Amino acid sequence: MEVVTLLQQIDLFRDLTAEQLAVISNIMVEETFLSGDVVFEQGSVADKMYLISQGQLEVIVEYENGKKESVLYLGTGQVVGEMTLVDEGRRSATVISAEDETHVFSIPNATFTELCATNTDIGYIIMRNIAQDMSFKLRHRGSETIE
Amino acid sequence: MSMIYKVSYVVSDGSKPGSIKNEQERPIVGDRVRIGQSNYKVVDVYEIMPPRGEFLYLHATVEQVAEVRV
Repeated sequence: MEVVTLLQQIDLFRDLTAEQLAVISNIMVEETFLSGDVVFEQGSVADKMYLISQGQLEVIVEYENGKKESVLYLGTGQVVGEMTLVDEGRRSATVISAEDETHVFSIPNATFTELCATNTDIGYIIMRNIAQDMSFKLRHRGSETIE
Repeated sequence: MSMIYKVSYVVSDGSKPGSIKNEQERPIVGDRVRIGQSNYKVVDVYEIMPPRGEFLYLHATVEQVAEVRV
């Protein structure tokens, strides 16, 4: 699938034009993970975010008592690691590949931030969409707590 | 472009983690979905947020389906 077509199916990039998506596609790197591969570890320095184009990633949180809990699976079209674009903190969870042939596109935070700063039209739309994605994830977590 | 359904799947008894993923078709009650290494059946679906552009935001409650080994 053409990268721009893929980006059009990810709501992080909703409302961006094909030309703007082409600019973003130029800073993306495709990576493939096998089941069990670690994408990033909790507490590590966050230097990029990931867009899932195929497969599943598992999000695992380790608590202060050492207990580890699988809290969420993220599938096609989802974004992981975007929190650090907002707060510049370390990874809040460990993320591993949950199946073979999980394809992602990684975007370096520094390059992406620079792109958003120099092209504020892109920057505004993406930051708004990141906020809405976080809201969706919070609603998901809230539903899990209630149910 | 056709609609894209961004779905929050939540396991009804909370025993397993749920999932968020995009679907090409709107899930309906009775559909089967794979989350992690387990299979689930959709038992409830509703809109969680207003649609935006081609994206529709759904919440789906699922129940685990017993694994049959032969």
